[in-house]
Amino acid sequence: MNMNDYKNKRVPPDWCPGCGNFAQLSAITMALAELKIDPKDVVVASGIGCSSNMPEFLNTYGFLGLHGRLVPFAAGVKWANSKLTVIAYGGDGDGFFEGTQHFYHTAKRNVDITYMVSDNQVFGLTTGQASPTAPIGLRTKTTPDGNIETPFNPIAFALNAGATFVARAFSGDVKHLKDITVRAIKHKGFSFIDVISPCVTWNKENSYEYFRPRVYHLENNDVTNFDQAYKLAFEWGDHIPIGVFYEVERPTYEDLDEVLKDGPLVEQKVHTLTEEDLEEFA
Amino acid sequence: MTIMRQNEVIIRVAGAAGDGVQSAGEILVRTFARSGLYATSYNYYQDIIRGGESWYQVRASDVKVKNQGDGLDILVALNQDGVERHTNPDINEGGASPLGKDGIAIFDNSIKGYTKRDTNYCPMPLADIAAKYSKNTLLKNTVGLGAAIAASGIDFNIFADVIRDQFGKKGDIAELNVKAAKEGYDYFLANYKPLGKKFKFGKKKYMISGGMAVALGAVAGGLKMYVAYPMTPASSALHFLAQHAKKYGVFVKIPEDEISAINTVIGANYAGVRAMTGSSGGGFALMTEAVGLSGMTEVPLVIYEAQRPGPSTGLPTKTEQGDLNQVLGASQGDFPRIVFAPGDIEEAFYLTREAMNIAEKYQTPVFIMSDLYLAEHYDTIDSFDLNFTIDHGLRAKDNEQDYKRYLITETGISPRAIPGQPGNMHNEDSDEHNEYGDVVSDAVTNPQDRIRMMQKRMRKMDTYIEEMKPTPTYHIEDAEYVIIQWGSTKGAVEEAVDILRSKGIKIGAIEVKNVFPLNPDIGTLLKNKKKIIAVENNYSGQLSKYISAQFLVKPDLITKYDGEAFYPNALADEIEVRIGKKKEVIRE
Repeated sequence: MNMNDYKNKRVPPDWCPGCGNFAQLSAITMALAELKIDPKDVVVASGIGCSSNMPEFLNTYGFLGLHGRLVPFAAGVKWANSKLTVIAYGGDGDGFFEGTQHFYHTAKRNVDITYMVSDNQVFGLTTGQASPTAPIGLRTKTTPDGNIETPFNPIAFALNAGATFVARAFSGDVKHLKDITVRAIKHKGFSFIDVISPCVTWNKENSYEYFRPRVYHLENNDVTNFDQAYKLAFEWGDHIPIGVFYEVERPTYEDLDEVLKDGPLVEQKVHTLTEEDLEEFA
Repeated sequence: MTIMRQNEVIIRVAGAAGDGVQSAGEILVRTFARSGLYATSYNYYQDIIRGGESWYQVRASDVKVKNQGDGLDILVALNQDGVERHTNPDINEGGASPLGKDGIAIFDNSIKGYTKRDTNYCPMPLADIAAKYSKNTLLKNTVGLGAAIAASGIDFNIFADVIRDQFGKKGDIAELNVKAAKEGYDYFLANYKPLGKKFKFGKKKYMISGGMAVALGAVAGGLKMYVAYPMTPASSALHFLAQHAKKYGVFVKIPEDEISAINTVIGANYAGVRAMTGSSGGGFALMTEAVGLSGMTEVPLVIYEAQRPGPSTGLPTKTEQGDLNQVLGASQGDFPRIVFAPGDIEEAFYLTREAMNIAEKYQTPVFIMSDLYLAEHYDTIDSFDLNFTIDHGLRAKDNEQDYKRYLITETGISPRAIPGQPGNMHNEDSDEHNEYGDVVSDAVTNPQDRIRMMQKRMRKMDTYIEEMKPTPTYHIEDAEYVIIQWGSTKGAVEEAVDILRSKGIKIGAIEVKNVFPLNPDIGTLLKNKKKIIAVENNYSGQLSKYISAQFLVKPDLITKYDGEAFYPNALADEIEVRIGKKKEVIRE
């Protein structure tokens, strides 16, 4: 298997030239190839937005669902068949606005899925409105005088929620993004990757050129140290850490649930109701 | 005028919330069921945990009882308020009659002043007897129930066994209760006269609520996952499934909200597991967008919608059929949907089980619409027919050549591939797509693809209509007048028909079990009738309007939206009035 075996040969990506999502498409396909996961055993679920077109371009099982609702959908897939590699992939608009509560609670439950967000600080598909991660001062169609709202901090939020793998990557560094993706997929539990992904059309202020000199690789940080991870989560501006902030082992929801721990639900026998079962109503 | 039958008894336990009214009522239903009688019940309660007024009515007979009835034979009042409310002829509790002159009122003898009215007041030392056995004041309920068992002429030993089962492992407490009940039983027989009911006891029955029947029907239909947010009255199904999760191998989860619930079960169904969600109107409103997601992506989905009176929070512990417009209108655009409305406990079981197959066969959302009355009341059944085959519908073979998830077919049904299946990788999309599942809304929208896909999806409705079973009818053959009914009003409507038939009125009823799509045979059933009357537990006659539009009829409308179910005699009276008007209303 090579990365091209994971790409849909019928449908080429239709993102704007230079879009950060291309890097993520490469990273996901390279990671799957490196991990030698059969395309039939992969489900990529998305919401609605530019980035959410991702499953279309993949030769895996894919589902383009509702804006903000990709994470519960992905959890449903995982709970139905824990053998599958489930990747929820969406944007900062759908994940951190409409999907916030799902993100929080699915992380808290430690459902064994990977959630990757293409974070470009704007709504792309709806033509460039400020998103929850828009920095203060960002001028967009809906913030012509500059954004005045404190930006959402995805890393701190994921840590607070109880995600067991929390990372940030950058679309301008595909090799590193791929390595992070491999680790995230391998991690047993809820893995979150916030990908800084420049929008070349609607966010000229926060471009590759802006981020490239500012990002630096996290190295030698103790990924099991929550306090340190939390502190790093607030580092932003001239120095933006990318890499794994936090990674710990904790039983997944599937490990703990008394029905799911007996194996993939899809393979479990359906109960045939008998006269004996009715006796409890006597 | 309510007719009391010799082979029927109606008992009402009245008290305040927290008095144990419900559990007392349930003990009675179980006792009747085990005695070999049919029983049904109605829990009249408030949105409160302690205080307030509540009562539980049980109706039992040796023939099938179809509703809670509007008469009353025996009252067990746990407080003074209960005696007053249910024996004062000037008070009508939500349409239920107060105790008549032949009735028996059992209450504690500390409640004074009840001798004069024309009913059999039977004060008893309930609290004094209870105090001999325990400090727990709830024990006096058991003493009162013992007296009610004596008054109805039921075998005390069966009642004693029910009490023992109720307390389960707490053997000592169970025996105290049995002893206290026996004293109540003996006291009544020593001091008062029983009703002299004559029952033909049959074989024991099973006691089950509508919510349990929905849950059990789903399990019988292959349910493996139930994800739902709590909301009365849908929660009785959720609780049953949570308690039986391990036994039946069903994964049960309360997520963060209803939106999560429905998207999670869509994910599970997509991955090949039969999964279901449920809520009441308010919670279902949150699910609306995802209903269309199921319709568009053609992922099977079963939704249990248990109605309660709206708008908004409405009357959380009462019954109504006001959500039909919402269910029919849920989600944007046109897509196939199928809506079932079970009329009783048996139908709740069978239709839910069938819904599991239908959803997978037609790869579209299927609803089970119930209401508080059906969901929460206990009823008795002889048994369920457990023969059933799970049909997964049209599935793709492994490694299909040129696999098309949304293949255009004559039936509209395309072969499904499930993640994990070799070779059939594809996308399912909330965007419009072509046969492969490739989105056509992005680059160059092909109008032909759009038209063909809409037609393909909607064709599933035509295919379904062809396999619909005939609309159930009740005494329709020679009927001059016909009642249209859907859902839990079935029992009251059928009994009203019986009452009117006994007066020589040629009347019948049709049960709209398939609320959507409507069975075309309804048009034929409504032809050449002197009068059509729709009976609905809502304000505007939601089904009636929709039937009028489809079959060009103009039914007269009897509605009830006070939060209570219909009572058969009151309904029969109202139907008679409407018929008496002799207005020409049929537009043929």
